[in-house]
Amino acid sequence: MPIEKSDLLQGTLDMLILKIVALGPVHGYGISLRIRQISKEVLQVQQGSLYPALHRLEKRGWLEADWGESEKGRQAKFYKLSAKGRKQLASEESNWNRLAGAVANIMQTAQ
Amino acid sequence: MSWWKSLFPKRASDAQMNSELRFHINELTDENIAAGMPPDEARRSAILEFGGYEQVKEDLRDVYRIRLLDASVANLKSAFRFIRKSPTFSLAVILTLALGIGANSAVFSAIDAILLRPLPFPDADQLMQLEQYNPKVAGPKRPVAPVRLADWNRLNSTFQAITGYYTEDESETSGALPEKITRALVAPRFLQVWGISPALGRDFTPEEQHFGGPNALMISDRLWRRRFNAAPNVIGEKLHFGDYSYSIVAVLPAFFLFPDRDVDLWSAVPFDAPYAQARNSTWFMVLGRLKSGVTLEQGRANLAIVQAQLGRQFPQTDADLAVDIQPLKEITVASSRRSLWLLFGSVSLLLLIACTNIVALLLSRATQRKHEISIRFSLGAPRGALIAQLLTEAFLLALIGSALGLFLAAAASDIFRSLAAQLPRVEEIHLDARIVLYSLACSVVVTLLCGLVPAIRGTRHSLSGSLAQSSRSQVSGRNPLQWLLVGIQVALAVTLLAGAGLLLRSFQQLGRVSPGFDAAHILTFQLSINYGETADLKKLRQFTDRILETLRATPGVDAAAISVGVPGVPFRYQTELKLIEGRAETEPKLIAENRLVSASYFATMRIPLLVGELCRKTDGPPTLVVNRSFAEAYFPGSSVIGHHVQSLNFGYFGPAAIVGISADAREVGLDHLPAPTVYWCAPIAEPGTYFLVRTRNAPMTMAETIRQRIHEIDPARSVYDFAPLEQHFSDALAENRLRTILLSFFAATALSLACVGLYGTLSYNVNIRQREVGLRLALGALHGQIVKQFLWQGLAVCLLGCAAGFALAAASSRVLAGLLYGVSPSDLPTLSTVVLLVLAVAAVASLLPSLRASRVDPMQVLRDE
Repeated sequence: MPIEKSDLLQGTLDMLILKIVALGPVHGYGISLRIRQISKEVLQVQQGSLYPALHRLEKRGWLEADWGESEKGRQAKFYKLSAKGRKQLASEESNWNRLAGAVANIMQTAQ
Repeated sequence: MSWWKSLFPKRASDAQMNSELRFHINELTDENIAAGMPPDEARRSAILEFGGYEQVKEDLRDVYRIRLLDASVANLKSAFRFIRKSPTFSLAVILTLALGIGANSAVFSAIDAILLRPLPFPDADQLMQLEQYNPKVAGPKRPVAPVRLADWNRLNSTFQAITGYYTEDESETSGALPEKITRALVAPRFLQVWGISPALGRDFTPEEQHFGGPNALMISDRLWRRRFNAAPNVIGEKLHFGDYSYSIVAVLPAFFLFPDRDVDLWSAVPFDAPYAQARNSTWFMVLGRLKSGVTLEQGRANLAIVQAQLGRQFPQTDADLAVDIQPLKEITVASSRRSLWLLFGSVSLLLLIACTNIVALLLSRATQRKHEISIRFSLGAPRGALIAQLLTEAFLLALIGSALGLFLAAAASDIFRSLAAQLPRVEEIHLDARIVLYSLACSVVVTLLCGLVPAIRGTRHSLSGSLAQSSRSQVSGRNPLQWLLVGIQVALAVTLLAGAGLLLRSFQQLGRVSPGFDAAHILTFQLSINYGETADLKKLRQFTDRILETLRATPGVDAAAISVGVPGVPFRYQTELKLIEGRAETEPKLIAENRLVSASYFATMRIPLLVGELCRKTDGPPTLVVNRSFAEAYFPGSSVIGHHVQSLNFGYFGPAAIVGISADAREVGLDHLPAPTVYWCAPIAEPGTYFLVRTRNAPMTMAETIRQRIHEIDPARSVYDFAPLEQHFSDALAENRLRTILLSFFAATALSLACVGLYGTLSYNVNIRQREVGLRLALGALHGQIVKQFLWQGLAVCLLGCAAGFALAAASSRVLAGLLYGVSPSDLPTLSTVVLLVLAVAAVASLLPSLRASRVDPMQVLRDE
């Protein structure tokens, strides 16, 4: 069952976006596609959340954006990670790992 | 960091949003087509899948929308909450700012009224003062003869009109007792030059300006209210002056206080009078109004040509003369400019110290609020918003401070007016919209000065994990920035104190000066005498003699004399003298101060006669006494007695014989060394002559007796300006005293602010290092060691601050150079006293927190840990 936006932990979407963009410059459509593919269709990001999130991250200076041509020759806005965004991603990843580890521990121990 | 970029975010344009979102839909369509849908169907499905297109766009716009109003209101609300939550802190900041901004606004209101605003007349920048002078002689500039004034008016092409005036004191004799009223006698075109018209009545008619024409008067608004209860039918009323009466033809507007604030009457001088025709008489202070568009330089060049032309026409009287033209405003305010800017400079330093103090306070505050700020960061507040919020808090504090400061300034400007009664234009100092605007500008500048650094620093470290790292286990005793600020405050305070110390020392030196005469127990006053009486010098001399005799015969009076000018009070009357016996071209010219005194002057003032005798009371040619400086400067090694000199400027004194040499006295001001002086023994009281009476008891107790005695002799004379001689000294030093008092006050405030800063920073430091201290005490450190450590920390910063302040004071000593007497601007004793004072006060301010540090209870701290 796909998990929708409302179920995503607050702030998690931002982390996912940063992680995807870290792989290389990519446009909004590409990001939603990859999240879907990598999560094996479990996570589906609504456009209504994706684009505001992208713009918010850009405004914060974690993402940088450039206009370029897509594989099919269309004009598209490509996002890439800034130095600041890379730092932010690192800190969010470690936080996430700690949190996930802690939750996993509890779930296992309490079984 | 480009933190400011976050304050001004880039906005995505509508077109860019559309094209980004369209791309997504196009890709989705392609995806659907690839999955086998027909193109139409594929597109519809893609749009459906994308969801509310307009909604997404609206959300995107939301990302960029700066809700300026909402944000400001929210910031203001939170700032108010912040102030309510920490009342002591806020009160400290507000009071500091109120003091800083208030003092600054008060001094600025004086600068604005006196120096910046034009004089209160229409197009006042066109008003000029004109004087004649002889460029070959280092003498003073002189008033102008009526005929020459008329020539200038006729021949020049750059002035709309040129007029002149002189003043004398009259006795108005309508009432039971004569009343002294100052009258200005004015040349034609007087009102035209000022560019004003009477509030009531009319200007003088041509007949009234002719010799033998009707006597007409214009009166001041003040006199109109005082004598005539502001009656509208005052025109045509008469005022009486002895044998003469004058009809009132006009009341001038209330703001018109020229030639000076004492003048209540204006009447016309007939230029066609026989006695007004001499080219070498010097009557008028001359004023002119430049034509619009004409510059000062053009006016000067034009008058130079006019005077050169007159010089060819009248070689005897006019060939040596040149014309000096200065803006009237410059003449009026130039003397107080340096004092005022000095005060403004020091009061701005004070504000700077206050700001530095507040920066330190806000910085320590920001450290305490780190937790709150990092929470807000983690909740997604952009840095710009946080900075804006911190700045809003600072601004609100500054705004309240400056509002309070305005009240202070209003109160201070009354004090300032009474302290500065001798300054020009002091009655024009008001608190108005300009001053309110100025203090508002001050609070904006203060906000940026005080708020920016703490706001930027306070929001800097919060990106990663200061949430987790609570301030609990932090031991950061090093706040170089805070200590730097304390050092700056100390340095600025030392600079101000050094200035105040030098002014105080110089004031003290002035008090110690031995003037060369005995000023105690001297009463001075004036009698109303007008220039018309100088036509019959013999009668005037008899009158003067009679008054002096009567005074001497009065019980309680030891001696009485007259003098033009009060001894020891600035009054220059410098001219070149001609030696009748002849003098070689190579010898220095005889330039001397002139004093017109009665022979009894020397006994009355107790100025010893060194050689020769006093002036003789003969009806023959006058005699004179020179002072020792004169004899030594111009007749070294030979006797000066027996020579005859003639002043090149006294019209009615012939050659006089030098009969004696007196000791030197500081005639032209206590702060001036005695200059070569000649005492013309001319026992004739003129307008402006002072009577000097040596009394046995306190001088003022004799005033009423003297008034009655003179009234018995001549009931039509008014006797006025009774004052002890020492009062004149005090008046002459009024501006000096004003700047000394104010600068001392500012310096004291600066020192206390710096100490508060030092105390606050050290206390804060002690607070955050409590655990460390507790641990060390538990491990066996001595209380004395702890005290010493903190005390030294405070004092070390002060020492550095003092060194910097010392350098700053030395560098800025040039500012004070012309304002000091008897003390050099880099006077070591003064500067070292200041440094010692600062260190002593700083030691007390550091001792309290240091002692508190040593009283930390180790058990308590360990338990907390």
